[in-house]
Amino acid sequence: MNARAPRMSQALLFLALCLFTALMLTPVIWAFMTSIKQPVDAFAIPPKLVFAPTFEFHRQVWVEKGFAGFLVNSLVIAASTVLISVSIGTMAAYGLSRMRGRAAKGILFGLLSLRMFPHMLLAIPFFLLAKFLNLIDTYPAMVLALVAINQPFTIWLMHSFFVDVPAEIDEAAAIDGANEWQTFFRVVLPIVRPGLWVTALFSLLLAYNEFLFALVLTGPHTKTLPVAIAEYGGEDLNYWSLSAAAAIGIMIPIMVFMALMQRHLVRGLALGAVK
Amino acid sequence: MAVDTVIQSPGVAQAAPARRHRPANRRRLWPFLLPSAIVSFCILLFPLGYAVYLSFFNYYLDSGASTFVGFGNYADLLGDARFWTSLVRTFAIVVSAVGLEFCAGLAVAWGLYRLTVGVRTLNLLMFLPHIITPVVAALFLKWIFAGRWGLLDSILAGLGIFPPDWLGDPMWARVTVVLADAWQFTPFMILVLYAGLNTVDQSQIEAAQIDGANGRQILFRIMLPSIRPLVAFVLTMRMMDAFRYFDTIYVLTSGGPGSATETLTMQTYALAFRLFQVGKASALGVLTLLAVLLLAAILIFTIGRSKEKSA
Repeated sequence: MNARAPRMSQALLFLALCLFTALMLTPVIWAFMTSIKQPVDAFAIPPKLVFAPTFEFHRQVWVEKGFAGFLVNSLVIAASTVLISVSIGTMAAYGLSRMRGRAAKGILFGLLSLRMFPHMLLAIPFFLLAKFLNLIDTYPAMVLALVAINQPFTIWLMHSFFVDVPAEIDEAAAIDGANEWQTFFRVVLPIVRPGLWVTALFSLLLAYNEFLFALVLTGPHTKTLPVAIAEYGGEDLNYWSLSAAAAIGIMIPIMVFMALMQRHLVRGLALGAVK
Repeated sequence: MAVDTVIQSPGVAQAAPARRHRPANRRRLWPFLLPSAIVSFCILLFPLGYAVYLSFFNYYLDSGASTFVGFGNYADLLGDARFWTSLVRTFAIVVSAVGLEFCAGLAVAWGLYRLTVGVRTLNLLMFLPHIITPVVAALFLKWIFAGRWGLLDSILAGLGIFPPDWLGDPMWARVTVVLADAWQFTPFMILVLYAGLNTVDQSQIEAAQIDGANGRQILFRIMLPSIRPLVAFVLTMRMMDAFRYFDTIYVLTSGGPGSATETLTMQTYALAFRLFQVGKASALGVLTLLAVLLLAAILIFTIGRSKEKSA
């Protein structure tokens, strides 16, 4: 504890870090303020800090401009991805965590290097294959693509939780007469349940945030929120307030996520969640 | 060995003798890997192989014309000045962004480490930019840097400074793109480095303090060297991710003005989905991958060399 700063400079340090935090949050706050300003206030120079707020744009963008529909697409795709990805990933992670010898290590390392692949290199064949199979603008195409790119992360994260469960527990279950599947489902899985939640939420975030594959694989029927906002936002300044409202809305579930996950951020992020 | 300890515990003692001939480590585990292996093979490895296969063809998506050209696409790209410019540009953007993130991240992580109150709250708040949807994050920044109505311009105008065209001037557009990456990934660096600093053995730090080391010496001579594998790991990860940085550039500048911020990834996207030269785009993707692997290998060997374990 001795490397902590002495009391006198604590205040200065605290102030400096608060300033840094404020700087980091400025773009978010600015966008939020834009979203609740009348256009006349939004384009005022110098920027107005005091104004009569309106939530009209939030209502308009979600109700009238169809963002509610994009939200549904996003949620359907993200939820299906998580269901499939976490189920099969968890099984694989369990298998790998209980295998001995070099094979398991080799597979884990191979998965890590797959995670590093430029997604652009996958987007091209995904697009061609989806086109060939007539799956463009369908949920399955997007879900399958996301499940695949989620696998390495899911397996690594779940693996880190399974390794924490001592192998003696499995052995005890086996001695009591449980087969591999009973051991997995009735004994080990309940122990790692918290880890399962963490993995599921991170995968959900990854699927919710994904842009490149959504850009290439979705169309008018399955467009997700990131694609919709990228098309809508930024172009015309007349839509500024509207797209700011949409952007803030897209961020709200993420803030809920962050509040839920604050204790687990390091583990998930060190393995490359989110982006 | 492990089985014996389990058998001695009361709960399982009775059932033990009959099943001892089948120890737990001989259980069949491969069925657990099967579903994931099938998915990974069909949707990850097969498409990757297909992309490599495509890179040997002159394949136009719009006309459907496809001819085998062998290494023709690679030769074309390697002989094209545009590829090398993109490569250097990508490299410059990646190195400046990751460098900035590391320095800022280390400074803030060190500050948090020395702070005794409010660390949790500050850490959580400054973390927000990292988990915002990248496209949304890029828009937030666009509204800061937008000409005239953007926050930055209005502030500068208020101070009587004539602002540069952040997104329209080639030089400033690159700076903006680097700042955008730094805005989103500095929190990640802070989080990882802060967690790393906290794992450093306290007795070492105390010993150094008794010897009269000051804060900076403790950070650079004791703490950083002892988290060196973590630093190597996080820098490598970040470099690789930054190389495929797409969402933010797409929204902020689309590679423009001109081709000022056109990274290899942006160039691949334009080739494949705007010009429909799928074969050449795949070749460019493969070359990008090779560049990333080379960079990662260099990083791991230079930073991670002294320790055999890399995080």
